[in-house]
Amino acid sequence: MKKIVVSLLILFAVLSFARTIKIGAVLPLSDITGRQAANAMKLAVKEVNEAGGVLGMQLELFIVDDEMKPEKGAAAIDRLATVEKVDFFVGGMSSSVHLAQIPILKKYQKITVWIGAASYRCEEAIGPDADWYFHLHPWDYLQGESYAHGWRAITEKYPQVKIEKIFLAYEEGAFGTSSFKSYQDEFELAKKGTGVWTGLMKDLKGASFKSAALGGGDYRAVLLQAKQYNPDLFIWAGYDADAIPILVQAKEIGFAPKLFVGAPPGWPADFGKNPLSHGVILYGMWAPALKDVSPVAKHFWDAYVKEFNEEPATYFAPLGYTNIMFLVEGIKKAGSLDREAIIKALREIEYDSPVGGVLKISPSRIIKNQGFRAQKILQWQNGVQHVIWPFEYQTAELIYPFPGWEGR
Amino acid sequence: MRMRYIFIPAICVLCFVLPFFIDAYLVHVLTSIMIFLSLALSWDMMLRTGQLSFGIAGFFGLGAYASIIAVDDFSVHPMLSILVAAVFAALVAFALGWIVLRLREIYFAITTLALSSVFMIFARNLSDLTGGSAGKVLYESIFGGDPIRTYWLVLSVTLAVILLSEIFQRSRIRFAINSIRDDEISAKCSGVNIFKYLLFAFVLTSAIQGAVGALYAQQYAFVEPESTFSANFLLLPMSMALVGGIYSTIGPIIGALALGLASEYLKLLMPYGHLIIYGLILIVTILFLPRGVYGTITDRMVKKR
Amino acid sequence: MDKKTIGYIVLVVVLLLVALLRPYAFFYGLQRGSLYGLVALPLALILGIVGLLNLAHGEFLTLSLYLTYVLFDKFGVDPAASSLLTFPILFAFGLLVYKLVIERSLKFHHLNLLLLTFGVSIVMVESFNILWTSRPRNIYTPYATTSIRVFGIHVGAYEFVYTLLAFLVLVGLLVFLKKTRLGQAAYAVGQNPKGAALVGINVKLVYAFVFGLSAALVALAGSFLSVRSSIFPHVGGPFTMKSFSLTAMAGLGNLFGIVLAGIVLAIAEEVVKSIPGYAGWADLVFFAVLIIAIVVRAFGRREG
Repeated sequence: MKKIVVSLLILFAVLSFARTIKIGAVLPLSDITGRQAANAMKLAVKEVNEAGGVLGMQLELFIVDDEMKPEKGAAAIDRLATVEKVDFFVGGMSSSVHLAQIPILKKYQKITVWIGAASYRCEEAIGPDADWYFHLHPWDYLQGESYAHGWRAITEKYPQVKIEKIFLAYEEGAFGTSSFKSYQDEFELAKKGTGVWTGLMKDLKGASFKSAALGGGDYRAVLLQAKQYNPDLFIWAGYDADAIPILVQAKEIGFAPKLFVGAPPGWPADFGKNPLSHGVILYGMWAPALKDVSPVAKHFWDAYVKEFNEEPATYFAPLGYTNIMFLVEGIKKAGSLDREAIIKALREIEYDSPVGGVLKISPSRIIKNQGFRAQKILQWQNGVQHVIWPFEYQTAELIYPFPGWEGR
Repeated sequence: MRMRYIFIPAICVLCFVLPFFIDAYLVHVLTSIMIFLSLALSWDMMLRTGQLSFGIAGFFGLGAYASIIAVDDFSVHPMLSILVAAVFAALVAFALGWIVLRLREIYFAITTLALSSVFMIFARNLSDLTGGSAGKVLYESIFGGDPIRTYWLVLSVTLAVILLSEIFQRSRIRFAINSIRDDEISAKCSGVNIFKYLLFAFVLTSAIQGAVGALYAQQYAFVEPESTFSANFLLLPMSMALVGGIYSTIGPIIGALALGLASEYLKLLMPYGHLIIYGLILIVTILFLPRGVYGTITDRMVKKR
Repeated sequence: MDKKTIGYIVLVVVLLLVALLRPYAFFYGLQRGSLYGLVALPLALILGIVGLLNLAHGEFLTLSLYLTYVLFDKFGVDPAASSLLTFPILFAFGLLVYKLVIERSLKFHHLNLLLLTFGVSIVMVESFNILWTSRPRNIYTPYATTSIRVFGIHVGAYEFVYTLLAFLVLVGLLVFLKKTRLGQAAYAVGQNPKGAALVGINVKLVYAFVFGLSAALVALAGSFLSVRSSIFPHVGGPFTMKSFSLTAMAGLGNLFGIVLAGIVLAIAEEVVKSIPGYAGWADLVFFAVLIIAIVVRAFGRREG
């Protein structure tokens, strides 16, 4: 009798201490990017748990809002580590918030898979020794390099396209300025005959503006300079609030370059509806149209819409899903929760992501574990974002040159 | 009276040993609260002279930049850089004070706000010195990121600020300051050198703000124009002082603890929309406790007598 | 000729020079500055008459922008025409905020009122965020992008509407304050609330009306701004401090000076922005001129 009671007690003890794998996410929940990334992460966790979990354990996801404030983002890491006692850190969006989190992350050295922070300053802050740190979002300079590859491919496929004179209008904050810096660095290399833009970029000019998101929104002085310079490719690096006003003002002053490119991290809700949007080229990581050419993207789209009754509106949605799935694949391959095994596994796996690309880890300038290295070149056509490059994900032919303002 | 001599040192000791009994998260939250508390107190100290300053974020940012540049470019020890930041902020305040302290009321307020923006513009544009829009990062946080040592340092500075605030409240200086606040013209007629006191208060409070900025920058090991000069470092300390009770030392302490803890825990309870509750708390508190928490308590105590 | 007239003549000459040498900067500055002045006038109204700095001022603008957007998106109402609707709606909203929050706090320390409006602004921004998320909205109308030829250059035509509105509102307010009974009562309250109450003016009624009127005037600006600006929760925020700056620079009660200050500052900003490489310093011009104007006036008064 005693034996039965004891074994029942042991069974009970084992079951009640059944381990879950705890993942801690820090995201800006008040912003659309953080909100949808959080949703996508919850979706991924739900899918994994319904399929039986990982290594026989269920996943538990804890999400803390960083409120887009550095000290709150940093405190969130401390909270997840010491109160929820998570095993992994995921999430991220803003570079300046991440700068404050980096010293705290270095304190705990838990495996961190980060989908935010494009600024090179963050890479500098992390340093070369952080084996536990995996960065999925392409760094700003990596994005710049990928566009060179993209334009080279495009000018080969469409020989009438040339991009020798480039004008970059950049917002005066950290995001815009580091974009401009990357372009300038690449231009210096191209002048010497080295670097990925050699033979493509022959002249570069830039001018700064105050973004509409921060109380500006008047680009006419910059657009006038661009008009005078008469570039082959005009590109603006700002925020979603700038997307339509900059088009409106370009129309107003009669500036219609052959290639009108926008590179904000997100697009406003009514951009497609606006007749001025047709023909605008954009740099991005993802487009809704990918669901027509990629089964993984389609699965994510359908599942997200079903679960949350809204459409993914930002690349942070599929990226958030990727964040969790990639980590899960790594744990599965490692076969255990051993830190070194997981680090090794994450470095080896290839994950086909709904963002539209295969995720594989390789070193970047300073850190060892960099994920995505490229963005895509897309174009708005009749209210829909279409992928132009990479060609294996292309969903429409390029419209060149930019249609001009007549009749809009 | 005598209770105070036991009570206060006991609280101080308690504050110092607290980190050993709580988790790193709470230590972090308390460290943040103390930063905002020091700012709130420095704002209140200026307010006691009758001057409404909107410039605290500006001197906070100046101190942060001074501290990071000192450590990065001049190999100053991080702890010493806090002193450097305080002195730098004080010098700037001294120089500007000769012009700015002739202004009163909304004109003083808007000018100090404009100055904060001017500092930010300089930080953003003088890229060679300040790292420009991308900012500057240090390789390491102060004390290698040790949260408890950081907490102790911030606690020490905060206790010093509390002490300064109490000196302002209790020493002979308070007669001059209160008289300036109540009626400048009479004060002048009584022989009070208004400008001297205003300049002193301005320089002292700016030095505090600079030191606190340095603490913040050293803790997170970076500066960046947009986040370092953020309006949060003006609006939150002001709210804390007002909610807790202005013209006092305990008021801002109560306000900082209440609002600081509330904002952190509200967001954990309500991931979406917690800021609405925070705004409502501000509104309701002011409507029903117009003299702040501490002010209302002292009013009640006066009534009881 | 006194100092003031000389000052104005110098100003006109400088502006003419700018118009000749940098015509784009002149016209863009004129347009933008009129917008700043237009939005600043309602804030000056509350500041002068109620003695309150309304930190939720920019959020009233955001509210009017969202209202215009909803009217356009759901009911197809033309944004300019919707100003006829947003004007009374915002008037009612201003009255509501006044009654709920401001009226019972009037006897408090003026800083409490500041904090109250700060609380209101937080609640408003967060409500917008919950209702419409942080993703910007935009309204497109073809007429918002038309341009005309002025002195041989292509300038956007639509934004001159801000200049028109600014002067209409300016004249309207001056007429209101000087010629109508309610306006004169408001003016008296602004000068001396206690004295005004003594002569029988219903101070609370005046305050309520002024608050409502201020919100309604902001709505006017918002409806016309809606076709040119992205609409998102924080869009109005920067306007609060800009309005406050212009009011402080011109001096309370100097309504014409507020609009003029807005235009002059915006032109100065545009001139700096048109110099390649110096755009980042354009903000500095705004603040430097602001500080200088306030300091010079303060020192001038002492000598006078």
